Amino acid sequence: MPVDKVTLEILKNHTRAAAESMAFTLYRTAHSTFVKETEDFTTGLTNPAGETFATPTELGATWFVNLNYGGAIRLIDDYRPGDICMTNDPYSGFVCTHSPDMHIWKPIFHGEEIVAYSVGHIHNTDVGGAVPASLSRTLSEVHQEGVRIPPNKILMEGEVNQQILDVFLANVRAPEQNWGDLKAQIAACNTGERKVLEMIDRFGIDTFREGIADLLDYSEAQARAIVRAMPNGRYPFADFMDEDAPDGWPCRLMLTLIIEDDSLIFDFTGSDPQLESSLNIPTGGDERHTLLMVGLTYVLYSLDPGLFLNSGIARVCRCILPSGTIVNPVFPAAVGMRTLSANRLQGLTLGAFAAALPDRLAGSPGSGGPIMNVNTIDNKTGRRIMAAINPMTGGAGGRAETDGLDGSGGNSGFLKNTPVEVNEVEAGIKVLRYGLSQDSAGPGLHRGGLGTEMVFQAFSPNSKVTARNRDRTRFTGWGIAGGLAGGASKFILNPGTNREHDLRNTDILTMGPGDVLHVTCGGAGGWGNPLERDPEAVFLDWRRGWVTLEHARAAYGVVITDGQVDESATTAERAGRMEETVDGFYDLGLERWAFEQIWTDENYETLTDCLASLPVHWRFYAKHRIFAAIDAMDADDRDEEGHTVRRIFEALKAEFPQLQVAAE
Amino acid sequence: MSVRVSVDIGGTFTDFCLYDEATATLSTLKTLSTPDTPGAEVMTGISELGTRYGHSPAAISYFTHGTTVGVNTVIQRRGAQLALFTTRNFEDVLEVARLKVPDPYDLFSRRPDPLAPRERVYGINERVLKDGTIEKGVDVTEVADAVAQAKVDGADTIVVALLHAYANPANEREVRDAILAAAPEMTVTLSSDVWPVIREYERTVTSTVAGYVQRRVADYIGSLQQALSDAGVPTEAMITKSNGGVMAAELGKTDPIAMLLSGTASGVIGAADVAARVGASDVLSFDVGGTSADVAVIRGGKPAFGVGEMVGEFPIYVPTVSVTSIGEGGGSIAWVDDFGVLKVGPESAGSTPGPACYGRGGTRPTITDAFAVLGLLGAGELGYGAVTLDRAAAETAIASVADRISLGVEAAAEAIIRVSISGMYLEISKLMSRHGADPRTFSLLAFGGAGPMTACLLARELGMAQVIVPPTPGVLSAYGGLIADIRNDFIRTAFVDLDTAGLAQLDEEAAALEQRALTWLRDEQGFEGEARLIWSADMRYRGQSYEIETIIDRADIAAGQIAPIAEAFHREHARVYDHSDPDAEVMIVNLRLVISGSAPKPDLAEGALSAAAATSVGEVPVFLDGASHAAVVYARADLEPGHHFTGPAIVTQDDCTTVVPTGLSVRVDGWGNLLIATEA
Repeated sequence: MPVDKVTLEILKNHTRAAAESMAFTLYRTAHSTFVKETEDFTTGLTNPAGETFATPTELGATWFVNLNYGGAIRLIDDYRPGDICMTNDPYSGFVCTHSPDMHIWKPIFHGEEIVAYSVGHIHNTDVGGAVPASLSRTLSEVHQEGVRIPPNKILMEGEVNQQILDVFLANVRAPEQNWGDLKAQIAACNTGERKVLEMIDRFGIDTFREGIADLLDYSEAQARAIVRAMPNGRYPFADFMDEDAPDGWPCRLMLTLIIEDDSLIFDFTGSDPQLESSLNIPTGGDERHTLLMVGLTYVLYSLDPGLFLNSGIARVCRCILPSGTIVNPVFPAAVGMRTLSANRLQGLTLGAFAAALPDRLAGSPGSGGPIMNVNTIDNKTGRRIMAAINPMTGGAGGRAETDGLDGSGGNSGFLKNTPVEVNEVEAGIKVLRYGLSQDSAGPGLHRGGLGTEMVFQAFSPNSKVTARNRDRTRFTGWGIAGGLAGGASKFILNPGTNREHDLRNTDILTMGPGDVLHVTCGGAGGWGNPLERDPEAVFLDWRRGWVTLEHARAAYGVVITDGQVDESATTAERAGRMEETVDGFYDLGLERWAFEQIWTDENYETLTDCLASLPVHWRFYAKHRIFAAIDAMDADDRDEEGHTVRRIFEALKAEFPQLQVAAE
Repeated sequence: MSVRVSVDIGGTFTDFCLYDEATATLSTLKTLSTPDTPGAEVMTGISELGTRYGHSPAAISYFTHGTTVGVNTVIQRRGAQLALFTTRNFEDVLEVARLKVPDPYDLFSRRPDPLAPRERVYGINERVLKDGTIEKGVDVTEVADAVAQAKVDGADTIVVALLHAYANPANEREVRDAILAAAPEMTVTLSSDVWPVIREYERTVTSTVAGYVQRRVADYIGSLQQALSDAGVPTEAMITKSNGGVMAAELGKTDPIAMLLSGTASGVIGAADVAARVGASDVLSFDVGGTSADVAVIRGGKPAFGVGEMVGEFPIYVPTVSVTSIGEGGGSIAWVDDFGVLKVGPESAGSTPGPACYGRGGTRPTITDAFAVLGLLGAGELGYGAVTLDRAAAETAIASVADRISLGVEAAAEAIIRVSISGMYLEISKLMSRHGADPRTFSLLAFGGAGPMTACLLARELGMAQVIVPPTPGVLSAYGGLIADIRNDFIRTAFVDLDTAGLAQLDEEAAALEQRALTWLRDEQGFEGEARLIWSADMRYRGQSYEIETIIDRADIAAGQIAPIAEAFHREHARVYDHSDPDAEVMIVNLRLVISGSAPKPDLAEGALSAAAATSVGEVPVFLDGASHAAVVYARADLEPGHHFTGPAIVTQDDCTTVVPTGLSVRVDGWGNLLIATEA
């Protein structure tokens, strides 16, 4: 029997109190600075099947609301009171999504019965492997991404399993930190267990058992009500990452959103084959995997902030995930940098929903800015410095109601920066500029948010800068409903000098003394026709230093002379350009337009079909061969209907007889 | 003989607490606040003190007060036309802030519009380096041009916040001089004066709040001083501070940031004083009014301090008694969502229209209405007779919710209270986890108009053993102001390693801080008593990005004693984070000094415990814990030390009602506090 709706609300507050208390305990007692700075962790409570029914909202990453621990829970067959299990293997149960994330779960017993699990993860700074921090786009197998612990007990009836711990710690670069953070996770799980037992005391076991089922049903019902208000239909949308590997070809992410009454289908057919880089997203084909549900959670919560966040939300949705693709890679594809692709997948989801709800949702959030670290030597003390200097974030997209928030927002609103003064004191650099990137916003009646921008100087030879998650140098954030795409991200060494070097999507570089690096995040997309934007709003942006005179005129048709809007010139300028309207719902930017002159939808669909017919280990290679062949052709030799693509593919198969055998 | 007076001006009521030195007794008074003419309520109260207690203004020997004028200026956006001067190329500091948005799950979440709009931010071509070296000095002509433009753009106040100004304020001061040379009428605020500490956004946003309120606060203080003087009050007015201390009101004219959150802070100071008398060292203060419910953590008798406390939508990074909002108070509105789930808040009926039962136009069901329906409210006068209770209106309002959740009116009213308690349970659980504390080892000290009404129910939910209700819960903030010390904070960002060279440098910084602090206390405050100095340092292990404030000994700095300072830090790190790393290198980021001088304290006597039984004034029918009871009603004024009784009971007094559920036992201690044990 369902619990009454008063008790449900009270129980809801108690379960959230438990999840939040777990998060505060973990955050308070974690050892590594990385956890404190990035809040890249989560805590929660699951039902015996592993479905998350309570999650913290004040602290922690926003990606794990719909995490289902079931896959990992089932890999341990005997649970006893006092056990705590852990795994960081992306291919064991598909709970962990890259090796730095150590997930742990503790069964909570009521008598003989497991009534819940307290769970959580921390992103470890390093878990060993080929590179410090264990993450690099260049890696191609999960084996290179550090030690992997398949589901195992770290605590057996309260006692530390020293053997597995020793193996783990022997394989990482800063073992005290990993062990310190693991202890914080254990403390958090114990907090969760205590709170659950208090709840059982307070409410009784029957109410607790029934209540947590009802809480999942409640979130599901809330989510269904939000979905029911959306127009039924099919909403296809594709977006591209600039590169599928260092210096690679573009990587397509494709989603067809299908809204049917109160249910959703996310069909990812058309997304690229799995990559020989670490941008793969390991879902194990779980049709409600949390990494696929992040964009959905953002959309539903933003439409109704009363939505109670737990994995009941995912029940409204089912994903179609072709095997051997970036969204469902097969072992042993590397997955370490799934942060970048998962972030872009969220944007893809927001974009598909935007077509269904153009007056409620926004243009593309800004993306493509890196998380940056500096490794240099302090000239005064000779001491080696390793410091995180900043996540470069973009703003939120423009929408019917308002401009997008500048600098951060959208799906990057959980990140924090490092103060300029702290960077200078601690990272051995001098910051020459930090602020919003001029002209980076996607123009619109309501413009997108500006991206952030930083310019800094190094002072020691051999200063290493890592810039994980660089993207959107080429393909920019999309505008909607007449709004235009945001600006590209930039990564330029020694700008304005004769040593200027455009680093594009490079994610690691070495700076010498005196070198200056200019880095920006791509801007967010606009909403509505920029030629209809209030000239006073454009004028204000100009006064604020956020648009140049040239951009005001080119993008908005607003003429500013002698420090004021020239109204008649503006009217004339705009009148002459009214035919300049965006063709279709999305504006994807010039680079994407040029790319699609060659890679039409039909060409790309042909490519996808061809590649899908190959064994997984051939697909990435074949894609690169076909892209290179198309790229080398004259425009006249190509067609838009896929014939050329198929011809090249057949030639490839002819070249490699073993391919035909393998394909059969 | 003379009287000492403390006044706390709130949104609805202005509270007076006075101590009569001749009789060593405290008395209280409430007047209606007059937000449109701040200060008028103080005059009304002073004249009332004469008529009610026979004290002439000339007898007032000490006058302190807390005011919300600064906070209201920010909330209502009625402050200065601000311009902000930053280091060039860092003009977006307020827009970018620390990036994180208020609600990261909400794609549309926004930071508030800054108090200095970006079009009135002017980059100055100057640069101070991290060690305080001036790489580029100030060009006076350039500043004059910026001032001219700021004037054209309508600015009347200029905030100057330059990079690394905490390390060397010279450029900020040159900019100020250049501004005043070009425009003597400008009000100028320097970040290095407001709070000279590393982290540019935090320093800048704090400075903009200071600059934004300065003129209004100064005008207010000036007119209050004049009115007090006109009324014949012979003493100089003091003002309570966010750090729980007091200072001469005159200083608030130039240092307004220090008094912004004075009311909530002095409430906690009052709570700590009551707790100390009771002998409770770990206490959660619980202050509920019509529109807010706030808690503060007091451990080992000391209130927790925080930085980044909110003034309206803006955080201020100065030492502030840490107070956390856990709800919207008695005016919180109950409603039922589309799925039949009962919710309370965050919408509040506020003081207007207020709860339905106040008969001021409110019709929606509030927590206060729920208490009225249950018979727990209205057994005595409310708000000094300013409010009459319309129970029928409360029932009508609650009935609208009761129907939707298929409960009777009384059961629905109790459900509303239980849901609201569970919301507070959630917020307090978060707060206690943040502090690594277990609420079950704390006492709950209830005050404010609605605190004692809900305290027992909340304590039961949290598993707390004891509830304390002070004698005058409605005026505890005013009481806190009366007993607060003169107090000020000083800080210096040092950024040194904890080694011999670092301590030598720190010793110099310490000498300078001490000099400034003593000048403040002796010359600016004119305080002649004993000065108390508390030294602390914000410390961290190398590689950490956050610091912990650790109390240290000045003598250890002077003597270059590394070990005791390091050990103090390891201990504090272990206390806060449950672990420490004695082998790691330690850094000192900031050196802090708190200077204080004792204000005269009321010399209250603990009353002898009476053996007589408490006399009730009657019984009322109430509905509690799912059943009807007859609750015994006691008038607080009749209760004497030593009295004891058990629930269900209601204690009524002028400014609040204490609800004691069935099975809880109450005794009155020698100070007149109600000590309620939640377990038999």
